[in-house]
Amino acid sequence: MTSLGTPIQGVTLYSFTRAFHGRQYDLDGLIRKVADEGFGPGLEVIGFSSLRGFPDRIDDNFVGQFRDLVAEVDLVPTSLAVNVDTGIRRDRLMNHDELVEYMRKQIEVAARLGFPIARVQISLTPDAMESLLPVAEKYGVTLALEVHADQHGAHERVLALRDRYEKLNSPLLGFTADWGATVTGFAPSLLEAYRRRGASEELLGQVVDLWNGFYAEGPPNTQKVHGERFGAFIGLAARNGRPDLGIDFAINGTGLFGPAPLETWLEIMPWVRHVHGKFFGIDETGEEPSVPVRSLVRQLVENGYSGAISSEYEGWHWNNWQDPFDIIRGEQAVQRSAAANAGSAMITDATEARRVLNSHLAQPVRG
Amino acid sequence: MIADRIIEQGTLSTQDGRTAVEVRIPWYRALPGSCIAGAALTVDGVSAPQDSLRWTMNNRTFSFDELVDETGEWWFPLDSAVLSGDLPLADQQAEHAVRVDLKLYIPYIITDHGVLHIEEHDTKTMKVAQR
Repeated sequence: MTSLGTPIQGVTLYSFTRAFHGRQYDLDGLIRKVADEGFGPGLEVIGFSSLRGFPDRIDDNFVGQFRDLVAEVDLVPTSLAVNVDTGIRRDRLMNHDELVEYMRKQIEVAARLGFPIARVQISLTPDAMESLLPVAEKYGVTLALEVHADQHGAHERVLALRDRYEKLNSPLLGFTADWGATVTGFAPSLLEAYRRRGASEELLGQVVDLWNGFYAEGPPNTQKVHGERFGAFIGLAARNGRPDLGIDFAINGTGLFGPAPLETWLEIMPWVRHVHGKFFGIDETGEEPSVPVRSLVRQLVENGYSGAISSEYEGWHWNNWQDPFDIIRGEQAVQRSAAANAGSAMITDATEARRVLNSHLAQPVRG
Repeated sequence: MIADRIIEQGTLSTQDGRTAVEVRIPWYRALPGSCIAGAALTVDGVSAPQDSLRWTMNNRTFSFDELVDETGEWWFPLDSAVLSGDLPLADQQAEHAVRVDLKLYIPYIITDHGVLHIEEHDTKTMKVAQR
């Protein structure tokens, strides 16, 4: 029987995008705030969001300052989220060699900053991941490909990656499980945001009904089905005289609120190296109304997962009326409660987190 | 997306028939020049001619044709870029309705129809900033 896991509590600075973008906190100040609030010990950063000059102009002086700060405030770097910008050129997509070099530079920065994981993205094919394995080995960084709505743990593209991982049998290739793939409802805070933009209750009811229908049907297993659902949201908005909301309904309804069952995670659970605790809000009862946080934490605990969970608040896109720090505090309380109910506990001590993370991952980072 | 922050309040300037305003990225992460695919600058309902538009970031100024191949300079989320164009403003003491439209490519999201692009706009009312 699998022994119970002890996930490590943490947060991604992405949760505070609105505060950082609004210049309320610089990077140093935001990291100190995270530590002061007790949102760690795990710390995740998006390279292209938080690091000026990423990845080509990250000098040793900055690297030293970053490492000193993280040590001072006793946080534990978990994942540097890097991007697979295949479409950076206007005339064509990157070729294979360009893509490998583009990723190598970012993975190198992850190692220099002390992040043991680089979060990579779904545009990487099984062949690309295989080509990047020597890079992962060179820097001692685990590549955790993010499984994010509209994909999910049982999607054809994800299973193809899993099968290649199994063949390559390297502990440095795995997944980041994003909870947005297994959502159980259209986020009420987003409905409120549409309401504030003048959407009628009739229209919002139809949006919820459409999403609930997709939830009942199950997740899209192919890109074709995904495309059809995307179009259905656009059509709904147009028929209701609000074509301006169509793309927004479609992007959020398919790309943020994935309707896959929790069991889909079991398809890839042995390869899950990192988790994005994606969520959209905390309601007046102190619970997440559209992401089954308690069930997701229980599933991780019962499957022996002892990596980090980065709380990832995504409601900031539309919610400009609530404090993201309060919301993170609320969601992490739910996570701790859920872990306790499952007979375990979230790791909140930094020393313990370092020990647990080192054994969860293949090897310590070589920066 | 953070479209309500595209225009920096109080940054409208005008000189010798050219008008400029500072703009912020409505997205959470840096994008290179090649992903800044188009813009419009409109004041009081009058738009600057497309070919007169210039984009300044990291102390370099580009036409939009030049941005197409620019993968070395990046628009960082904390930095203001400057959008300028040929647009004379008659009454500099008046309040002006400033509108900026932006088209951005999101280089890591590849759809069946190509690289995802987003179109965002912002409108703010302001006077010309006094030098």
